[in-house]
Amino acid sequence: MTSAGLAMHAVPENQRTESAACAGLSASFFPGSPILSVRDLSKSFGAVNALKHLNADFYSGEIQAICGENGAGKSTLVKILAGVDRPDTGTTCFDGKVCTLSSSKEAQRLGIAMVAQELSVCPDLSVLDNIWLGSMDVPFLPRRKDLRRRAAEALSLLGAEHIALNATVGQLTIGERQLVEIARMLTRNARVFILDEPTATLSDNEIDRIFVALARIKRQGRSVIYITHRLAEVFRICDSVTVLRNGEMVGVSRTADIDRKKLIEMMLGRPFIEMYPEHGYTEGEPILRIDGLCVPGAVRDFSAVVPRGDIVCIAGQVGSGAESVVRTVAGLVYNATGSVRVNGNPMRLGSAEEACQHNIHFVSGDRAEEGIFSSLSVTDNLVATRLRALSRFGFLNPKSLQAEALRLAGWAGVDQRRLRARADDLSGGNQQKLAFGRCLGGTQAGVLVLIEPTRGIDIGARAEIYQLMRGLCAEGYGLLVASTDLEEVIGLADAIITMYRSRQVGSYRGKAINMQDIMADITHPLK
Amino acid sequence: MNSIGGQASEQPASVVSRLWSIRLDKASLIQGIAAVAVVIFAVSTPGFLSATSIRSLLTTVSFVGCVAVGMTFITLSGNIMSFSIGASMSATTIVFMVSVVLGLVPALILAFLFCAALNGIQGWLIGVFRANPLIISMAAYSMIIGSAIYITGGRGVYPLTNKANILTANIGPLPGPLAAFLFVAIVGQLILSFTRFGRNIYLVGANPRAAKASGLEPWRTVLWAYVAAGLCTAVSAVLVAARYRSGDMEHGIGYEYHAISAVLVGGTAIQGGAGSVIRTLVGTVFIALMQGLLILRGFGIEMQYLLIGLIVLAAVMLQWKGRT
Ligand SMILES: Nc1ncnc2c1ncn2[C@@H]1O[C@H](COP(=O)(O)OP(=O)(O)OP(=O)(O)O)[C@@H](O)[C@H]1O
Ligand SMILES: [Mg+2]
Repeated sequence: MTSAGLAMHAVPENQRTESAACAGLSASFFPGSPILSVRDLSKSFGAVNALKHLNADFYSGEIQAICGENGAGKSTLVKILAGVDRPDTGTTCFDGKVCTLSSSKEAQRLGIAMVAQELSVCPDLSVLDNIWLGSMDVPFLPRRKDLRRRAAEALSLLGAEHIALNATVGQLTIGERQLVEIARMLTRNARVFILDEPTATLSDNEIDRIFVALARIKRQGRSVIYITHRLAEVFRICDSVTVLRNGEMVGVSRTADIDRKKLIEMMLGRPFIEMYPEHGYTEGEPILRIDGLCVPGAVRDFSAVVPRGDIVCIAGQVGSGAESVVRTVAGLVYNATGSVRVNGNPMRLGSAEEACQHNIHFVSGDRAEEGIFSSLSVTDNLVATRLRALSRFGFLNPKSLQAEALRLAGWAGVDQRRLRARADDLSGGNQQKLAFGRCLGGTQAGVLVLIEPTRGIDIGARAEIYQLMRGLCAEGYGLLVASTDLEEVIGLADAIITMYRSRQVGSYRGKAINMQDIMADITHPLK
Repeated sequence: MNSIGGQASEQPASVVSRLWSIRLDKASLIQGIAAVAVVIFAVSTPGFLSATSIRSLLTTVSFVGCVAVGMTFITLSGNIMSFSIGASMSATTIVFMVSVVLGLVPALILAFLFCAALNGIQGWLIGVFRANPLIISMAAYSMIIGSAIYITGGRGVYPLTNKANILTANIGPLPGPLAAFLFVAIVGQLILSFTRFGRNIYLVGANPRAAKASGLEPWRTVLWAYVAAGLCTAVSAVLVAARYRSGDMEHGIGYEYHAISAVLVGGTAIQGGAGSVIRTLVGTVFIALMQGLLILRGFGIEMQYLLIGLIVLAAVMLQWKGRT
C-alpha cells in the first residue's frame, strides 16, 4: 500500500502534463458550454481534505462517469452539486450563471436530481409516497391519480413494475429500495441527473434497465453524472470519465480514448497488476457442510461443502436465495431447517452467538444497517467481535484493545491514523473494509461467510480484499460467499454453486467454471 | 485507499477522552459555558456556600444520581428510558422496610434482588420480543403501582426497628448517601469502560442488528442493562427508606423524570450507543444546582419545573444539532 504513496510523489511531472493535456483537449472534445461546472472547489471535514481546489465541467447530452478510489471525494463532490453539503471555498456555475447551491431545494429548483450513495428512503412510507417525497412538483392539493400514473411510469421505465405503489418500502429488498430511489429521481423534471453508485445493490437485469433509462435521458439532451466502481459500466454507457484521487482532479478523458488499464492507472496513480489472486484448489478436508437447508420462502433444499482453504461462491441474482443461505450459516435466520456442520460438529441454527462459537464470522452486504456501528469509533468497530478473546473474566484491557485495533486496521487497510474517527465519517469503501476487518484476526482458522464482499469498494481495495481472502485460505479458513457480481464470482471462486429462485441449480469446480453456463443457470432455470 | 500513511501517528485514545467522547464540537462548548455560568451564579448567590445548603444539595444529588446512573445503562443500550423506575424504587422501599425486621443484610439482599428482578423482567420482554421500551415501562409502571397499593392497602410501612439507621450514617467526612452515589457512579463507569458487558451495551445501543451479526445476543445485553439499572435504583431505594424510616409508594415519585433529565442534560445520546455515567453525573449535579439556586433565590416549585423543562429541551436540541 505504501507503494502508491511513493509512486505519487515519484511522477508528479508526468501527471501534470497529463492533466494539462486533458484540460487543453477538453475544449475541443466537448461541444458547447458546460451545463454545470465547479471552479476551485474545496471541502474539508476536520483534518481530512476531501476536495482540494477542484475544477470540473459537466455537459448536456452526455453520461459522464466519475471514478476514483474509496475516499477520493466523489460523493463529496456530488453532494455539493446536489446542495446537500456546502463547500468551504469555490464557485459553482449552472448553465453559465454563478449559483449558490445552498440547499437541496435550491438544487432541485435549478434542475439537479440525485440518487445518493446511502439509501435515503423512508421505510414506513409507501413506495408512492417515497417517490414523491420532497418533490417540489407536487402541488398543494395533489391529484393522486396523476401522481400514481407518473410514479408507475418511472418504475416501469426501470422494469420494476412488480413493485406495488402501495407497498411499504420497509418490506422491499435493498435492490428494490434502490430502484424506488432511482424512480424518484426519474420523476424529477431535472436537467442534471446524478447517480452515486446506483448499481451496487442491483442484479444484472435491473442494471440493464437502468442503463436503458439513462440512455433515454441522454437522448433527451440532459446530463447524467454517474459514479461507479465497476469499470465495465464506465466503458459500456459513459461518454467521458472524470478521475479523482485524494480530492484532486487527475484528468478527464473520453471513454473511447482510454482503456481499462489506463483508467485504473489514473485512479490508483500506479500501474495495476492483477485483480484476482491465483486460485487455491487445495481441496482440504471439509470445514463446513450444509445439508438439506430450507428457509421458508427463500431457500429450498440447499446442500454444499466448503473445504478448508477454498473459496466457494454462491452465484445468483438478487432474491435467488443465495443471501439467505449465507445468513442461515451465520445464525441470523430463525426459521431455517436442515443441517449445518462445522468441522463435523452439528451447529444449532438460528443463533448468531452459536455460529460465532463455531468460529463462523459474517460480513454483511448491508453496510449501514448491519455491517458497521456507524456512531461508534473505528476502534470500537474493529474490536467488536474480539471482545471475548481480549477480556479476562469479563474485564477488558484498553491497551490491548488499542493494539488489536491497530493490528486489524493495518490488516484490513483502514487508515491507522483515523482509529478515533466515527465509523460513518469514513468513505463508503473504507466502511466496508472496517466491517471486513472486524471479522478477522481470530487465532484459529474458521469459516468466513460473506455477502457481496466488495459492494461499493474501489478497484485497488477490491484487489486487496481478494488478496486478503486468499490469505485467509492459506491460513486454513474456508470461505462461503454470496455474490451477484458474476465477474467477481468467476475471478475469485474455487467452486461455484448457482441458484435460481430459491433452488440450487448447478455446481462447478476448478476448470469446469465458465461464464456461459453460470449465466444460463442464474437467469434461466434448467427445465 | 487513503490508508496510505504508513506509521500510525496517533496515540491510543486516552481514557478521559473516551468518557466524554461524543464529539468535541459546538454542543460540548455550550455545555461547558453552561457549567461555568451555573458555577458563577452559584457562588454569587448569597447563602449558597453554607454547609447546610451544600449538604442538602448533595443529598438530593445522591438519591437522584443513583437512579440516573441506572437510567444511563438503559439509555445507552438503545432503549431510551424507563417510566417505571420511580415506581420500582418505591416498591423496593416497601420490600426493604417490610423485611428489615429480619435483619439489615437479608433486607438489603431482598431489596436488591427484588428491584433487579422487577427491571430485569422488563428488560427481558424488551430484549426478547423487541417490544417498545416506553410502552413496556408504562405498563410496568401501572402494574407496579396497582399491585403495591393492592397489597399494602395504600399505606406506608413503618417498621418498629432501627436496624436500617446505620444507612444514614456518615462515612468519614462524606454523608452516607453521597458516598453511596459516588461508589455507584464509579463502579458504573468502570463497568461501561472496562468490561465486556459495558462494551456490549454500547454496541447494542449503537446498532443492534450489527451487534447480532457480529455474534452478540442483543436481548441478553439489554436484559443485563435493565438488571444493572434495577441494582442502581435499589441503592437509592434503601437509602431513601432508611432516611425516612418508612417504605412508601410516594418515595420514588418523580425519580424517573429527574433521572432521565440528568441523563439527557449530561448529553448521553437519546438513541443509544454514546454517552457515559460521568456525563450523567454532571447532568445530575447541574440540575440539582439549578434547583437549589432557584430555591435560595426565592422561586417556587413551578419555576423549578419550568427551568428543568427548558434545560432538557435545550439538551435534546443540542444533540440534534450534533447529529447533522
Ligand atoms: N461527514 C464527514 N465527516 C468527516 N469526514 C468525511 C465526511 N464525509 C466524508 N469524509 C471523508 O472525506 C473523504 C472523501 O469521502 P467521499 O465520501 O467523498 O469518498 P468517495 O470518493 O465517495 O468514496 P467511496 O467510493 O468509498 O464512496 C474521505 O476520506 C472521507 O473519510
Ligand atoms: Mg462515495
